[in-house]
Amino acid sequence: MRSMSTAVFMGVCLSVFAQSVHAKCGDIVGKGDINIIGNSFPALQYISKELESCNRAGLKVAVKMTPEARVETERAFGSTGPSPFSAAVVSMGTFTNLNARGQLQPMTDLVNKYRTKYKIEDSMLVRVNGEVMAIAFMQNAQNLFYRKDIFEKHGIKAPTTYPEMLIAASQIKAKERSIDFPIAQPFGKGFDSATEFVNLLSGHGGRMFKLGSAEPDFNGDAGVKAIETMRAMLPFMTPNALASNSDDVMNQFQQGKAAMGVLWASRAERMDDAAASKVVGKIDFAAAPKASASGKIAAHLWWDGVVMPRNLGQDRDIVFQVLMEGLDEETTRAANNTAIWIRSTYKPTRFGAGVAASIKAGAPVWPSEPFFSLAHGELGKILPDALSGKLSPKAALDVAAAAYRSAARDQGFLKK
Amino acid sequence: MKLPSFLRFVGPSVGLMVALMAVPLAMTFYLSLRQCALEMETVTVTQSGPFGQQEVTTQRTKTTADGVPISQCSFVGLQHYKRVLGLDRAGADDALAPATTEATTSAPVGVGASKPANEFFSALRFTLSYIAATTPFVVGIGLLLALGAQQLSTAWRAIFITAALLPFIVTPVVAALSIKWLFRDNGLIPYLFSHFGVQVFWMAEAWSAQLLIVLYGVWHSVPFAFIVLFAGLQSVPQDSLEAATIDGASRMQRFRYVTLPHIMPLVIFILLIHVMDAYRVFEPIIVLTQGTFTTSVQYLTYYILLQESNPYKASAASVLTIAGVAVLLIPLLLKTYREQRGLN
Amino acid sequence: MPLSRFAQRIIYVALALWLVIASLPVIWTAVISLRDYVDAFANPVKWSAPVTFENYRALWIDREFYRNFFNTMVVTIGTVSISLCVGCLAAYALARYRGSLGFWLLLVALVFRALPHSTLLPSFFTLFDALGIRNTYFSLIFVLVAINQPFTIWMLRSFFMNIPAELDEAAMVDGCSRFQAFRRVIIPVMWPGIVTTGLFSFLLAYNDFLLSSALTNAEKMTMPAAIANSISAESEALLMQGVAGAVSITLPLIILVVIFQRQIVSGLTQGAVKG
Repeated sequence: MRSMSTAVFMGVCLSVFAQSVHAKCGDIVGKGDINIIGNSFPALQYISKELESCNRAGLKVAVKMTPEARVETERAFGSTGPSPFSAAVVSMGTFTNLNARGQLQPMTDLVNKYRTKYKIEDSMLVRVNGEVMAIAFMQNAQNLFYRKDIFEKHGIKAPTTYPEMLIAASQIKAKERSIDFPIAQPFGKGFDSATEFVNLLSGHGGRMFKLGSAEPDFNGDAGVKAIETMRAMLPFMTPNALASNSDDVMNQFQQGKAAMGVLWASRAERMDDAAASKVVGKIDFAAAPKASASGKIAAHLWWDGVVMPRNLGQDRDIVFQVLMEGLDEETTRAANNTAIWIRSTYKPTRFGAGVAASIKAGAPVWPSEPFFSLAHGELGKILPDALSGKLSPKAALDVAAAAYRSAARDQGFLKK
Repeated sequence: MKLPSFLRFVGPSVGLMVALMAVPLAMTFYLSLRQCALEMETVTVTQSGPFGQQEVTTQRTKTTADGVPISQCSFVGLQHYKRVLGLDRAGADDALAPATTEATTSAPVGVGASKPANEFFSALRFTLSYIAATTPFVVGIGLLLALGAQQLSTAWRAIFITAALLPFIVTPVVAALSIKWLFRDNGLIPYLFSHFGVQVFWMAEAWSAQLLIVLYGVWHSVPFAFIVLFAGLQSVPQDSLEAATIDGASRMQRFRYVTLPHIMPLVIFILLIHVMDAYRVFEPIIVLTQGTFTTSVQYLTYYILLQESNPYKASAASVLTIAGVAVLLIPLLLKTYREQRGLN
Repeated sequence: MPLSRFAQRIIYVALALWLVIASLPVIWTAVISLRDYVDAFANPVKWSAPVTFENYRALWIDREFYRNFFNTMVVTIGTVSISLCVGCLAAYALARYRGSLGFWLLLVALVFRALPHSTLLPSFFTLFDALGIRNTYFSLIFVLVAINQPFTIWMLRSFFMNIPAELDEAAMVDGCSRFQAFRRVIIPVMWPGIVTTGLFSFLLAYNDFLLSSALTNAEKMTMPAAIANSISAESEALLMQGVAGAVSITLPLIILVVIFQRQIVSGLTQGAVKG
């Protein structure tokens, strides 16, 4: 059954990619069955098409894109046998977890060997104590999306702080008939609301953990302020906000039903595609607002990159080459607008302007403690209760802190 | 049939069920009492990347000489059960302790010790409400449709049955997605409602999100009840019905005294199957709400296993889930026990 | 005594109403699958929009959904055939054996039937990883067969009960062994029961999402597991592929029911309903 299916696949693949066989991976010597996993986002969709065009007799490349990528990657890289995935596309959070558990394969020698062939640039290398553990290819950050036309029409300035955002929202709600809910931001249970919280927490000057330890510190003053800021936004958002993910928010912008909100830069380009958007050219991008007039910018910088597992059960040289084929200069050129690429050949577009502004405004790098994702996960579970008013902000944060401590003890980050 | 030959015949089936259900269940129980953790050490490392270079103090796994991470497993007793049931006072107290020492500088700790969430209980409560809310509608609508379909001509029956079965055969995860697309902010249903001046945001509050899941449940389960009852109605003894008519029984009386007793075992059968399936409710939860406002027992295990990546705590949730279904099944099992005993 | 015309009409209206409710989600999904994203999820809703097959093209060609279709077929056909073979043997024995062991077996099977599948996953992960058989057709098929056994043997047993025991006894008097009697005499008259039970097994394997998505990686994913990527799609292109995928998954099911509609009703009438 298995060999027959492989034969059928190969046949179909070969016919589909007949032309590209020689263009991509043409000079890679050797065989392999290469499985790569990652979250699904526009840039990776392009890269995965590039990678899968390496398919030829003896070399099979498959990319699995799934929302469960983080969990599946951690499980695969941590399994006792060889990892079912030859490589993974990860963001910083996952990278930190994998690295802390010693589950990543250093790639320093491979980088040196292929540096010139694939034009690998220094800014792409993620090093820990000098060893290359990941190769980053794009950056991402939340920034402000706003309807320039509506703001100009009513003489409102793009907000630079959250309090300003609330004022702008009430003005637009009163004056603009086409918009019922001026603010659109992903507040859904889990990842989305927890990420908003972390942004606002640091914006209000708070910390996730006590300095140099794994003890939670997010349930103090700044944490309460972060939740209060989020709650103040709810009256200007769709009543379904507590169940909205980035996709729902993007749709609200594209359908012309939202006037402003903080969203991922990777979504920016989708605002100008007429097959998806009614507001082509009307949305502009600015730095993410500061949490308060005296606070800091409420956004973090992220990178996405590729990593290889320590328990890789195959030829690492071939896996590395295939990955680099997918991340070469040609990819950056061909898909310039889909991401903020790290390669120097990337030509900045207006879609990256918000991130550039966020960086200039001093946005910090996303926290990299290996226990961070545990706290993030527990916050995501309880935040809807705090936002809907079922629990007071302080009570919700205490619940999350307690649950986090239990989980951190299970995993060995906290001793007692 | 003699015992040796019986054993040979049931062997493969029983073997599969033992290997892939009984053994895993025993193992789940074993896992629920354990916990494995990697051994961590605090290190200072230099990290560099696209956003520059920094020295960070962090934790890292201890590894053996050839780089294999060292992990330690131990029995932790009922710790995971306590946590899933929200009885884990230790975790709550620990978290509050440091906060109190800093009380002078941070917010007053006036809110008091908050109870950790009882994840299992809230999942069980929704699961049971879901069973209770869907069951009467499933049986009732199923029966009405079956009686109605009897009035159709043969050709129409075939068409009706095919179309009416749709919700039952459509892949649940696909069906839940379709319903999500119908009910989202800008979906068809809220749009139709708005024509009557009613604005409903289905995901705005717990009751409406839960109602939507119940609606999905009824929609999905009615066809099975319908088709079983419809099949049952085909075998109602015609001579008894005719005899009743001759004796002057009204339509209602014939239904009450002839048809209903005949299909009563089927109603029980449907109840049994529906309660079992409803206890498993999963797809509408993960698709429609991703756990906002609602979790079910099956979703809870899935969530702990895949999102929290903790197979040990997930095992504890599993064991509690199995205990729940056992309690739920006792009356039905007793009934089956008596019936089958009677038959043999 | 026929119903009054008024009552007749109410019945027709009620039945028609159910048909609308039953088919609306499927029909609406089919409608928006033929649109661009901007029209499919337009706000306010659009009744008509330009038709495009782009979503289907992107799904089946770019995303190579035929692989998932192939996986679904392998898993479904494997599960149905093994389920029926193993299940027929057991159900036949359970219908003929008079000892109390058979009764206990049926009772335990009933408990297994009620088991939420996610409770097995922690052990499956641990076991399959240790044995290195995670992400194989083999393990997924046998898991689905095992989970399907309780229902299969209960249902098939009720069909076997309807076949008079004299039939196999006569065959055995004629010199057949118990297995030959089962194979040559009983199975040929069992086809209606096997088809009906097979259909239910087919639905279970084809529609499974929880186990299939948890136990497989990209290249072994069945269609429902692959479509789950659209639940929290990170781009509208993926979402639209999900809509097209939803229709693609449903179409074979509809064809199946159109073909076998008669067997389902007659099968239920003869078998499960009586037993």
